[in-house]
Amino acid sequence: MAAYPEVKTAEEFGKQPEEYQTAVKKILVSHAINELYGAQVFDEPAIKFAPTPYAKWLTCRVAMEEYHHHVRFKGLADEVGVPAERMDTKNKKPLNIFEFPLKSWEEFCVIKLLADLAEILQVEDLLHCSYVPLRNVARTTMPEEKFHAQFGRDFCTELIKTPEGKSRVQDAVNRYFPYLPHFFGAANSTNNALYRKYSLKQRKNEDMRADYLNRVKELLDSLGLDMPSLEAAA
Amino acid sequence: MNTHPEAWFSALGTPLGEGEADEIRAYLEGLGVEAALPALLVGSWGQAETLTRGPVGGWWDTEEAERTRLERLARVDPADAEWLATTEMLHGAAAIAAARSGIADPGLIRAAAGAATYAAHQHRLARAAGMPPGHPFMRKYALFCGGRWPLGVYGDRFAIF
Repeated sequence: MAAYPEVKTAEEFGKQPEEYQTAVKKILVSHAINELYGAQVFDEPAIKFAPTPYAKWLTCRVAMEEYHHHVRFKGLADEVGVPAERMDTKNKKPLNIFEFPLKSWEEFCVIKLLADLAEILQVEDLLHCSYVPLRNVARTTMPEEKFHAQFGRDFCTELIKTPEGKSRVQDAVNRYFPYLPHFFGAANSTNNALYRKYSLKQRKNEDMRADYLNRVKELLDSLGLDMPSLEAAA
Repeated sequence: MNTHPEAWFSALGTPLGEGEADEIRAYLEGLGVEAALPALLVGSWGQAETLTRGPVGGWWDTEEAERTRLERLARVDPADAEWLATTEMLHGAAAIAAARSGIADPGLIRAAAGAATYAAHQHRLARAAGMPPGHPFMRKYALFCGGRWPLGVYGDRFAIF
């Protein structure tokens, strides 16, 4: 499939086919909402679970970065005329990954380890997006997403140093991992086909999910943790 | 918000002035913590990290109880674009101060930025709730504005970088 030409500004965006505009708006809304939900239900509440001042302040900074990601994607959506209510968490049901009830520091560290890795894959897929303002936001956001996943890895590494800690981290992995494969959307998705048609995204949902599962396996192996069965995630 | 972002983290490790000692006393007294606690002047980023990686003390819970009380009186939006620009400025100030000391650890820099952000948030909340200038969140914020990083109570001392 030939690459769709670059669309460099919001003004040029207005001259694109309706289908292109709708597709970009869906991606923007999805990212704006997900970043906001993540900050509201995981990052900000996690400050109280962090065991040390260092971890609390670091979590506070991470929460602010997630809120900032929301603002960046929302800013792009505002530019192309997406109504604000479409990006209000009060009006849109969250993805299932945000329904996990956060109750401990171990759970939060696992969420950063696994969910932020999933987010990295989603943002990676936008790094060559035909809509240049979205591509630029993806490129700006990526280093912070990588830091957040590293945050999860560093704190999980600390926690698993004791048998009790390792058991708690494994338990959190077992309970949170099943939510994640669905994050990549359905196989043979018509939305995803449109995104690829217009060079907004590069990969099929099923290919991203397979890549993610491989990366999770590698990550958990490196920490000496077990990957739950895919049946658990079905 | 402080209009001199370059001042944040600019006095780390330098001797405490009399005015700063007064701010610390006012902060502790306002929180209901022993106001006469001696100060522990932290001299390096490494020492600050080691100290703050230890278990959190009761002072944090006391601050959180006050934050919860203020949130019943006023709300501030954590996703407000202007506020987020301020938090970026604080991150920048922490990164510059760390670089001056040869520190490039992104975690430690973010922890410092997070501490400043939390203090700025508490200050913003206290103002929105109509608290007087002597409120402990105002006093802690003043210490940050003066270039310090107040680290909290550890054992029987108040640590400040």
